[in-house]
Amino acid sequence: MVQNHHRGCHHQDHQEIVRENKEKRPKFFINDHVDILIEILKRLDCRSLCVAASVCRLWCTIARNDSLWENLCFRHVSPPPSSLRSVVLALGGYKRLYMGCVRPVQSRLGRVRRASWARDEVQLSLSLFCVDYYERLGGGSSSNGRLVGESSPSSLMFLCKPVNV
Amino acid sequence: MVLYDSATLAGSSSGSSSSSSSKPPPLQPEQRQDIDGHLAGAGYKVRSSELRKVAQRLERLETAMVNSPADLSQLASDTIHYNPSDLASWVDSLLSEFPLTPTCPAEFVTDPVTNQTVVNDAWTTTETNMLLVPQNVSYEQQNLNNQLTVVTAMEEDSGIRLVHMLMTCAECVQCGDFSLATSFLEDMQGLLTRVNTVCGIGKVAGHFIDALSRRIFQGIGGGSINGGSAYENEILYHHFYEACPYLKFAHFTANQAILEAFDGHDCVHVVDFNLMHGLQWPALIQALALRPGGPPLLRLTGIGPPSPDGRDSLREVGLRLAELARSVNVRFAFRGVAASRLEDVKPWMLQVNPKESVAVNSIMQLHRLLGSDPNRNAPIETVLNWIRSLNPKIMTVVEQEANHNQPGFLYRFTEALHYYSTMFDSLEACTVQPNKALAEIYIQREITNVVSCEGSARVERHEPLAKWRIRLTGAGFRPLHLGSNAYKQASMLLTLFSAEGYSVEENDGYLTLGWHSRPLIAASAWQAVSDAPSEFPVPDTHRLS
Repeated sequence: MVQNHHRGCHHQDHQEIVRENKEKRPKFFINDHVDILIEILKRLDCRSLCVAASVCRLWCTIARNDSLWENLCFRHVSPPPSSLRSVVLALGGYKRLYMGCVRPVQSRLGRVRRASWARDEVQLSLSLFCVDYYERLGGGSSSNGRLVGESSPSSLMFLCKPVNV
Repeated sequence: MVLYDSATLAGSSSGSSSSSSSKPPPLQPEQRQDIDGHLAGAGYKVRSSELRKVAQRLERLETAMVNSPADLSQLASDTIHYNPSDLASWVDSLLSEFPLTPTCPAEFVTDPVTNQTVVNDAWTTTETNMLLVPQNVSYEQQNLNNQLTVVTAMEEDSGIRLVHMLMTCAECVQCGDFSLATSFLEDMQGLLTRVNTVCGIGKVAGHFIDALSRRIFQGIGGGSINGGSAYENEILYHHFYEACPYLKFAHFTANQAILEAFDGHDCVHVVDFNLMHGLQWPALIQALALRPGGPPLLRLTGIGPPSPDGRDSLREVGLRLAELARSVNVRFAFRGVAASRLEDVKPWMLQVNPKESVAVNSIMQLHRLLGSDPNRNAPIETVLNWIRSLNPKIMTVVEQEANHNQPGFLYRFTEALHYYSTMFDSLEACTVQPNKALAEIYIQREITNVVSCEGSARVERHEPLAKWRIRLTGAGFRPLHLGSNAYKQASMLLTLFSAEGYSVEENDGYLTLGWHSRPLIAASAWQAVSDAPSEFPVPDTHRLS
């Protein structure tokens, strides 16, 4: 946003010029230009994106958009097959894929990362994501008589950091 | 208290260079040959004939010291110790300081076979304990520290003793001497109370002691352990899947091999020898959905035990998989085959279409077919024959890399002890999860089956991959190499498990996953040799076991 500093100016004509400039230059609110906003947010990393989501309602809505998370997942990878999107969306969406699988996988593999592994990391994340989806489906199989804890998907627990209780 | 410099004790030989007020009478020449040489080098004079007695007394002293911490301070200030280099009398004088010296709960059992080993092991560690005592100037300050050191040394000592006792007990069982074995069992139970059973050797030993008790008291029929319901088994399997990477490794490696084998085929059929919850297949379905060229028509035939209460658990799993396949647009058909044993399955039940490409997937199932009855053909041969008749494009075999099918009980016991100790070590290193206990029960059931069952009740007949290779090539299969993709994927998967210590190795086309270079599970892929006649001579596999 362009801020106009109005300095107390003693010259009348200067004031007029400033006032004219103020009227000529339109105020720029980024929220009016959602397409630019999206382009900017698309380039953020995960943490910044989450922070951005708490700025205002509009930003929150945009940040939740799955296509931004798609960019996050595949930023370092050559363009994925076109059929991937429908698969990922069916399994729960890119945000879930990123937060649940891609991020922990990338952070754990970070120290041994080689350039060629970026694609494989994503594929591995996808497989793990699929198992997780399958477990989430599991409500049907965990019908009456089963243990309470059985229906909660926990195949990705090994990716979670251990909590000190 | 008269103090002795530990350096002089360690360095001196027969003459004691201590500042003791009373010197012992010099030893007569004929007595000198009787002195134990090892201890003399450390500065202690003990007659070889008295070794055992002194060891027992030291043990008793140790117990008394650990059990009565309040009284130890008097040892530091009020008591006069004479000449510790004459260990026998020194120990006796110390023992007399204690008002009550309870007899050691695990006195050495007179066992002519292992007498020497047991005594020597205990001796070296208790010697270390005793060396600690004279060193401390301000005994009270370091009292706690010392106690801890004594306790840990005692624990290690107890751990080693447990292992020795386990072996000896197993040997008695093999010889049929059940009364002696029972007395060993009681001693071991007593020893267990002094060892940390939450982790380490104590925990594994506890399981093996249970299994031995079962064998001795309940016989080798298997009893209740094999009667675990299918539902229970599925839950334990599931937790084992989550707690450690072995099953994940198996699934992912097999899937990768199957995926590569199905490349270019449009009509594919996978036969799973043990469906369980079907956790292996979502990843394959997803990979097929994304393969270049589009997904094939996938048929899955899952074999599993029948459900007792009328619920069709196989069908439920099939429905879940079908829903997943529908979400990702893969044409999918499922068929469940309920059979309590794999050898009851006949190939016509699988309804294999001759036009489709078949993959057979066996995760830790083939070893169950290695029956021990010498009078009839082991079911493994029948099953391998009909697998060949299906002409599969690939057969993925994952088996435990262990030698638990030898006829000799002691050998099997020893092997199992090493194998499962390693496996428990690896499990401990994984991040703590609430379900780890159930995973351990899963492993414990395997241990119980290996140790306490015989004949048809013993289904966990693990054999190392080298033996499987001989068996499978003899049955008309040739090995397929698992590619570098499988290796890469397995390595990545392992890195995700925060426990450092897992290792993947590739050897001659097969992959093994192990803990600290001890391989624990091996994955391999096979293909039927197409031009071999069905009367391919099978080597006498009975001799292998």
